[in-house]
Amino acid sequence: MIRFIFVQNRQGKTRLEKWFGSYSDQEKQKLKAEVHRTVASRDQKHQSNFVEFHNNRIVYRRYAGLFFCFCIDTNDNELAYLEAIHLFVEVLDAYHGNVCELDLVFNFYLVYAVLDEMILAGEIQETSRSVILSRLEHLNNLE
Amino acid sequence: MKGLTVFIADLRKCRSHEDEEKRVNKELANIRTKFKEPSINGYNRKKYVCKLLYMSLLGYDVNFGHREAVELVDSTKYSEKQVGYLAVSLLMDDESEYLRSVVRALRRDIHDGSEWIVCLALNAISNIGSREMAEVLTSDIVVQLLSPAASMFIKKKAALCLLRLLRRFPEAVKAHQWVGRIAPYLGHRDIGVTQSVASLMTALAQQYPEETRKAASFAMRRLKSLVIDNEYTLDYVYYKVPAPWLQIKLLRLLQYYPAPESSEARATLLSILRHIIDLSQDVPRELQQMNAQYSILFEAINLGIHLDIDQGLMQECAVLLGRFITSRETNVRYLGLETMAHLAAYIDRLDSIKAYQGVIVQSLRDRDISVRRRALDLLYSMCDVGSAKAIVSELLRHMAMADVALREEMALKVAILTEKFATEYGWYVDVMMRLVSLAGDHMGDEVWHRIVQVILGNEELQVYACKISLQTLKAPVCHESAFKVSAYVLGEFGHLIANAADSAPIDQLKALQSKMTSTSQSARAVALTTVGKFINLFPEIKTLCLRVLDRYRGALDAELQQRACEYYALGTLEGEELLPTVFEEMPPFPERQSALMSRLLKREADTEDQRTWVYGGREMNRERRGVTSGAASNDSREAVAESSAMPVPATGLNDASSGSPAASKKGAQEASPAEPPTDPLVAKSMRNYARLLWENDGILFDGEEIQVGIVAQYKPPSGRLGVFLGNRATAPLYNISITARVADGSQLTIQPAAGQEAEQPETLMPLAQARMFFDIQCQQVFTAAPTLHIGYTVAGCAPTVSELQLPVTVGHFMDPVTISVADFFARWKQLGDSGIAESQHVLPSAFLTKDAVGLEWLRSVIGGMGFALIHGADPEPNNIVGVGIATTQAGRFGCLVRVEPKPTHGLTRVTIRATNVEVAQSIGGNVKMVFESR
Repeated sequence: MIRFIFVQNRQGKTRLEKWFGSYSDQEKQKLKAEVHRTVASRDQKHQSNFVEFHNNRIVYRRYAGLFFCFCIDTNDNELAYLEAIHLFVEVLDAYHGNVCELDLVFNFYLVYAVLDEMILAGEIQETSRSVILSRLEHLNNLE
Repeated sequence: MKGLTVFIADLRKCRSHEDEEKRVNKELANIRTKFKEPSINGYNRKKYVCKLLYMSLLGYDVNFGHREAVELVDSTKYSEKQVGYLAVSLLMDDESEYLRSVVRALRRDIHDGSEWIVCLALNAISNIGSREMAEVLTSDIVVQLLSPAASMFIKKKAALCLLRLLRRFPEAVKAHQWVGRIAPYLGHRDIGVTQSVASLMTALAQQYPEETRKAASFAMRRLKSLVIDNEYTLDYVYYKVPAPWLQIKLLRLLQYYPAPESSEARATLLSILRHIIDLSQDVPRELQQMNAQYSILFEAINLGIHLDIDQGLMQECAVLLGRFITSRETNVRYLGLETMAHLAAYIDRLDSIKAYQGVIVQSLRDRDISVRRRALDLLYSMCDVGSAKAIVSELLRHMAMADVALREEMALKVAILTEKFATEYGWYVDVMMRLVSLAGDHMGDEVWHRIVQVILGNEELQVYACKISLQTLKAPVCHESAFKVSAYVLGEFGHLIANAADSAPIDQLKALQSKMTSTSQSARAVALTTVGKFINLFPEIKTLCLRVLDRYRGALDAELQQRACEYYALGTLEGEELLPTVFEEMPPFPERQSALMSRLLKREADTEDQRTWVYGGREMNRERRGVTSGAASNDSREAVAESSAMPVPATGLNDASSGSPAASKKGAQEASPAEPPTDPLVAKSMRNYARLLWENDGILFDGEEIQVGIVAQYKPPSGRLGVFLGNRATAPLYNISITARVADGSQLTIQPAAGQEAEQPETLMPLAQARMFFDIQCQQVFTAAPTLHIGYTVAGCAPTVSELQLPVTVGHFMDPVTISVADFFARWKQLGDSGIAESQHVLPSAFLTKDAVGLEWLRSVIGGMGFALIHGADPEPNNIVGVGIATTQAGRFGCLVRVEPKPTHGLTRVTIRATNVEVAQSIGGNVKMVFESR
């Protein structure tokens, strides 16, 4: 299962954090810093999108200046989560109309709503782009 | 929300952290005043709570606004409710006082008329998932999942909600009540619903393999319709690949079930796998499509390996993997190596993998550390007697160049492989000495401890080990860990080589001394003990030894000083008896699982869904699966697995049955310790009694005339016990009396609760019920159980008095305590060392078949007894460990439990360690009784 999801910029500022387990505030701070150190220092061209992290693995992908990182179990399917990241980015892109870092900052509370339609309880819930987007549009129109 | 946007923009404009902090504090003050205004409207409340959330995400401590969040949750507007639930999930922890109101709101929202409100509630439960929610809301969620009226969105969310609660509080969701109704949803036409249900099913499959058996055929059929019959809607096609995530989930789910028996089902599975493999023959250009296709392919290979039903397919997989590990795509190389390690864990002959040994060794030098790790795992998994020497020497060669982060693991693996596959003693010693010299800085003490254990346990090794140790000490440079091993070995066995050239006692002492000054405190401490042992081994150099010790008697380090002083005193003592007794040769270490191994396994065990295989080759996987006969081919290895499968307990204080598992098994068959009752009525009441040892409510006695039920509530050291007396006869019962008694001198009081005595009815009509509450106080640990006396008269008969043993033991006054894994083992050891307060039973447990139901039951028993289960603490995943504190008025007693089920042996070992021996024995006795009455 997914343990947590981060979206971080190159300076290590976390733009989205979603935790699927219980962690103390202190642990959270530590993990965010560690993930950034681990991922940002890797060679984007010649290295895989997977890296060992404590007893788990991080699957990550970089889009412009943002790192999208999923922390998963060692027996999970890495490529499936790598593509889940891509699907998530595509959804965000369509939802915000060419998403950028600032969209995530200013609409942080909406990003959680997007995530809730796609991933729940650390597992993938919905994988159809059109189903997710039409649902989000519908929810947006509610008062 | 304009105010929010402005606020965020303001914060972004701040030049320094101080500026930002100032702005935040100003806003916090502002929000506090706004929240006090009675006229604040919903929109503003939402806006301010959002601002608080933003600050909290920036890392500022926000400790108010919880009440406002709950108010938003109660709003009728969707957007306000949404922010309310978000705030609850981000700001509140499990202990929050407001969580109760949230549960109340959820209870309301989950049955709301609008679908999106139900969805919001389900999202919130998945995100928060507290214990109370599991207890109160599970049945509502199940209803939503199964209701034909619920929308697809509700169903998806309900399934994942259940999954979250099931994973966190397995005992609270009572999954056995609904587990059988989930599988058909794998055939649901909506792919989103199937996707979510498949995740839930995967978790259920591990806990209820029997009840969920149908799921395998549902999953297979659904997979076939996707892969072969092309039944899917276009919106689920991802870069030309139909529903890749669902395909993967289903392929994964099938790996939790054995290969099907029917040849028809096997053929279907094979055709699915073949189809997937054929599809992947042409590699698409587009990255997304390639990844999606490969992700399915790798999962299909994993399933193929797991099913192991077609040799041709396996060979083909091996060839495919061989191609992948040389791929130009790093991701593919990585996954190729990983999957090949899975293959090595299953196949009989490793030849098809060994063909790639050169490539794999090359991968130890890959540009990506992640790939290097997988190469190491694979080499470790594919190693066997034939290839051990080559692989170990390759690993040693790479050790010096390997990343620091990888060196420790490499060292562990080399140590394990060398021990496992050593056929020559010399080789073992040489490799290990090289290993500690090369990687000493990067490995834990376990490695050198293990070397010493192995040498102590193998007489044939000892002379050679001494020679090498002396050489090591004489070499110009000597690594600290190598020094410790050498010092220890010479101290034990130095006399074995004392007659060889240049190995006289004096040479040994000089070699030791020459390196002693340049090592650390801990190494010097080991060396001092060796010097002490030398006094005993070689009386001829006693004065020299004493001189060395004398020098350290004034050492600044307390440990060194103490050792030096004590050994010096021993050496100069007049009587000759004490010295040889103290420094007697160490006995061989008891055979038990190597600490190295447990360390590796523990690291791998940290996954939410259980691993279906582990790194380390076929033999280890077989051992792990607990297969001990049948398809077994290699006898000698089998014997090793057998002997280490259930180590003999090192301490056995309590009863004969803890001696050895074999003995207790016999004992159980011939004359069971507790004489299993033959009378069905007695057996039944024993079962009733035993059940109440771990459950608070239940029937205690079920007779022809009366039935007695118990409802208990404990708040250690007190409790309240409700006794329910039902009349099952056809005539009224007269002169009813319900009293409780404790044994003389027992440190327990049971008294009727205030006003209860007056309420007792004199007469009880047929089918009527009388009840009586008692207050219990536990002053001190007690052993004798209290009794319940029920008197009544049936018209025309002499009065009857039934005496029943009450299920009230010191164990009932226990509360669960959660501690960390490290703390647990520290305390476990600490209590074990003291030795007195331990209760151990090896109990026959044939009912614990290999499936998870028995284990689940066992977990609820231990949890029900008041222990907090510490998940993942024990390297063996089936083992259960827990902690509780028993509270009496006179004091509190910590209590630890470890349950080690061995389904294959039909035995379970239960060990209780407590800070009080009577507590340990009482609880141990309770567990035993629960087992025997099952």
